[in-house]
Amino acid sequence: MSPELVDLRPLLAVLASLFCAGAVFAVRHSSRWRAFWSLAAAGIKFALVWSMLPGSLAGKVYVYQFGELLPGVAFGFRVDALGLFFALVSSTLWVLTTVYALAYMRGSHSLHRFFGFFALCISTTVGIAFAENLLTLFVFYELLTVCTYPLIMHDENLAARRAGRKYLVYTLCGGGLILAGMVVLYFTTGTLSLAESGILDASAERAGLLAIFLLLIAGFGVKAALMPLHAWLPAAMVAPTPVSALLHAVAVVKAGVFGILRVIYNVFGIDLLRDLGYADWLAMLAGSAIVIASVNALRQKKIKARLAWSTISQLSYIVLAAALLVPLAALAAIIHIANQAFAKITMFFVAGAIERGTGKTRVDELAGVGRRMPWTMAAFTISSLSFMGVPLMAGFVTKWYLSMGALQAGAGLYVGVMVVSGLLNAAYWLPMIYQAFFQPVPGDEKRDPQHRARVSPMMIAPVLICAAYVILLGAGASAPAMPFSLAEAAARFAFELEVPLE
Amino acid sequence: MSEVFPTSLVSLLAVLVPIVGGLIVFGAGRWERRVPALAVVAGASLATLAMAVFMVRQVSHGIEQELVLFQLVPPIGIVLRVDAMGALFAVTIAALFALALAHAVGYLPDDRRQWRFHGFALTSLGCMIGVSLAANLVTLLLFYELFSLLAWPLIVHERTPAAFRAGIKYLVYILSGGALIFAGVVLVYWLAGSVAFVPGGVLSQSAPAGMPQAGLIGAWCLLVAGFGVKAALMPLHGWVPDAHPAAPAPFSAVLSGVMVAAGVFAILRVLLEIFGPALLVELGVLPWLGAFAGFAVVAGAMLAVPEDDLKRRLAYSTISQMAYVSLAASLLHPTALGGALVHVTHHAFFKGGLFFCAGLILAVTGLRRISRMRGLGWRMPWTAGTLTLLALAMTGMPPLSGFVGKWTLGTGMAQAGGFLHLAVMLIGSLLAALYLWPVVYRIWQRPEQGDPLHAAIDQGERCGPRGWMLFAVLAAGLVTIALGVAAGSPGFPLELARIAADALLGASAWE
Repeated sequence: MSPELVDLRPLLAVLASLFCAGAVFAVRHSSRWRAFWSLAAAGIKFALVWSMLPGSLAGKVYVYQFGELLPGVAFGFRVDALGLFFALVSSTLWVLTTVYALAYMRGSHSLHRFFGFFALCISTTVGIAFAENLLTLFVFYELLTVCTYPLIMHDENLAARRAGRKYLVYTLCGGGLILAGMVVLYFTTGTLSLAESGILDASAERAGLLAIFLLLIAGFGVKAALMPLHAWLPAAMVAPTPVSALLHAVAVVKAGVFGILRVIYNVFGIDLLRDLGYADWLAMLAGSAIVIASVNALRQKKIKARLAWSTISQLSYIVLAAALLVPLAALAAIIHIANQAFAKITMFFVAGAIERGTGKTRVDELAGVGRRMPWTMAAFTISSLSFMGVPLMAGFVTKWYLSMGALQAGAGLYVGVMVVSGLLNAAYWLPMIYQAFFQPVPGDEKRDPQHRARVSPMMIAPVLICAAYVILLGAGASAPAMPFSLAEAAARFAFELEVPLE
Repeated sequence: MSEVFPTSLVSLLAVLVPIVGGLIVFGAGRWERRVPALAVVAGASLATLAMAVFMVRQVSHGIEQELVLFQLVPPIGIVLRVDAMGALFAVTIAALFALALAHAVGYLPDDRRQWRFHGFALTSLGCMIGVSLAANLVTLLLFYELFSLLAWPLIVHERTPAAFRAGIKYLVYILSGGALIFAGVVLVYWLAGSVAFVPGGVLSQSAPAGMPQAGLIGAWCLLVAGFGVKAALMPLHGWVPDAHPAAPAPFSAVLSGVMVAAGVFAILRVLLEIFGPALLVELGVLPWLGAFAGFAVVAGAMLAVPEDDLKRRLAYSTISQMAYVSLAASLLHPTALGGALVHVTHHAFFKGGLFFCAGLILAVTGLRRISRMRGLGWRMPWTAGTLTLLALAMTGMPPLSGFVGKWTLGTGMAQAGGFLHLAVMLIGSLLAALYLWPVVYRIWQRPEQGDPLHAAIDQGERCGPRGWMLFAVLAAGLVTIALGVAAGSPGFPLELARIAADALLGASAWE
């Protein structure tokens, strides 16, 4: 049993962005103070979350509890390796996204609403990551849904409202399922805390177990955009780019897969799920989603739509890896939270920079963009290579451990899925790179005095930092204080292994 | 016996110097200055060559080096190792690239885009050196994927629709091959718990006895098919005859000379240092490799005979010539293997040289078709003379380099009792004469009066310097002579191949 320490930092990390939201709402129209509070809170939270890394690597668990909500269910925080990993990813990306958003959103309307709710989203995300029990997690999860809605419909036009409504319907229904699942769970076990090896055991009724599994997985699956519950995600691409980054990388979909990981590892537990065999079906569903979503991505003509379908495919990597129920695959699942986030956020930042710099939003308009924005497109190339699973990039690490995990689980078929998915990724990313770098700049743009597109360095810097981190994640897995070591620890705890993974 | 020294940065520098040089050259288009950019290209490629030569000298003194860089997917690291086989291939790559870069300076139009070519060429040079020095399959996969991707902009450099079509075909083939390799590597690691290249075979040594036969054969098929795409092993050769004519001539030379060879090189690593001779015999897969390779030797050469496009004919010839290596490897005989390694190096220079000639002819006269080259030799004697020499080398004329490789290969095959293999190789050589002789004959025919060719040459002679191209052509010719005449000298391919074959297959019956 790992030593539990009472510590204020989990609470402070949640409060930092909550306070930021309050401050941003309070200062209303002063853009300077808005920027100051957003950046300050992002920085403070970043420092708070990272300061817990050494302790967590050493096996410490930080807890902070309030009074009980239900008998036996307190409202509290508990920072284990998996939760801290998720919090690290989202708080790191929050800093970058804030910098990017300050430049991207300049001149837009209702900015205090935008940045206020943005901070609230991050606050709730960290709450999800640190939740001690399913109920706490659920509260923050629902708050996240509510706080994202104003961001998605920020443009306040018809398309944005429709997308926002679709999002709300999907995720609230998902929330309803989770609530139902929680009720059944509470009446089966009498507790909702997330224990290291699961809270359910085989003595419970089969029908009840199946109901809990289906309700919780489907509920979290909505936000995780698990096919066939994904339709809200491609629709939500009408939102401003920083919001897409929030949806696709920092918070929302990640909250969904994080919930699924919690259900698999901490509610059911590996041993029980292995006996029940439900996870095999989940793996099959995720495996086919990987391929189908990629095929769909191939057909998209809008850059952001292609990115959205790619996210659906990539998230299924995580679900598939978790459903394989072996340590190496668990490592792949956890590390892919970071790998996908950094690579995908780079792409969204690039899509936004292209939109701001040249006004282009479609794949077939990209001709010559590589000449006009060479650094930006170079970053895009790096993340594409990562998704293709080229060694040295983050994606290869996932692909490798997921394949090893598939072999460990005796499901060699999924190595084939990885291979096919890598090729499909090549088929939809490489044409974009080809367009950007190898097609000549159209004639009328050549005469454009702003030939070299001018984009604020505050938008380019996050792009380059994220792209560099994609390489660092791929090449520096064994370096100290990299997320990899934490993911490895989290996978070990989930399987109660003493020795490091091979 | 060779010792392994733990640290030496030469291998790392040989990979990094060209990559960094290439990245610097990418900016050259913006400098608008020719001399500093040329200096970087020359400096980086010559420094790489010097380091490769240094590594060869160390290996021939029996010093092996290993350098562990970082862990890519813990616990598997990126490890560079300098052994005889790798050093020989590295020096071949570096030397051919140096010639090709010189040729490109003359071949490409003098504008900003030429630096893009040089940039990509230098970075892929670095990655190819990485392939030759890789000490485990993951390192090999890393550099292999990177140079495969970096080769693409070079193939489509001329931006014609035909080039883009060839480029897409190349990508589809190579990426699919890469996917197979990935699955194979995963399977090998799963079975053996290690992917290191170990003489004798890591699967033979580190794995428990009861390994699943199906898994082993599956891994073998995945790896050989995956690398076979690059090695142009029939029927996986589809990209070769399209990519070669489409690419600029200096890069066609590199493609044929060392890139296809990189596939073959990787197959040798997989056969000898992943599976190992004992396991290969037990699995009974070698006759299959021999059959495919033998088929490629004959069929590739037969496809070359009726081809009228000179670069395409040479591309088919590469398919045939590179299959010699797999054919020899399937015998697992040290002399045959040594011959195969020598042949890889020798082939790089005579085939590269032939492409340099084809490029020079194309640049000066605009001719691709052999049937129209009548009388060319009397107008471009140096080029045509070298082309003749290289053609003779390829057909195995002593004392040129081609003879040495084929002789060693042939004796090895005979010693191993592979007389069928020997016959196939001899048929391949005969066919080589059959597809090269018409070229030589045609260019030395007496020209007809009023042939438009000569007007084209007269114009071409006025249209700019070709000294760089001629330099590359003549240098390739000289190397071919030197490798043949001085084949037995210390530090030459024959000696290194012997060291490599001894290390991989045990003491050989070299005389």
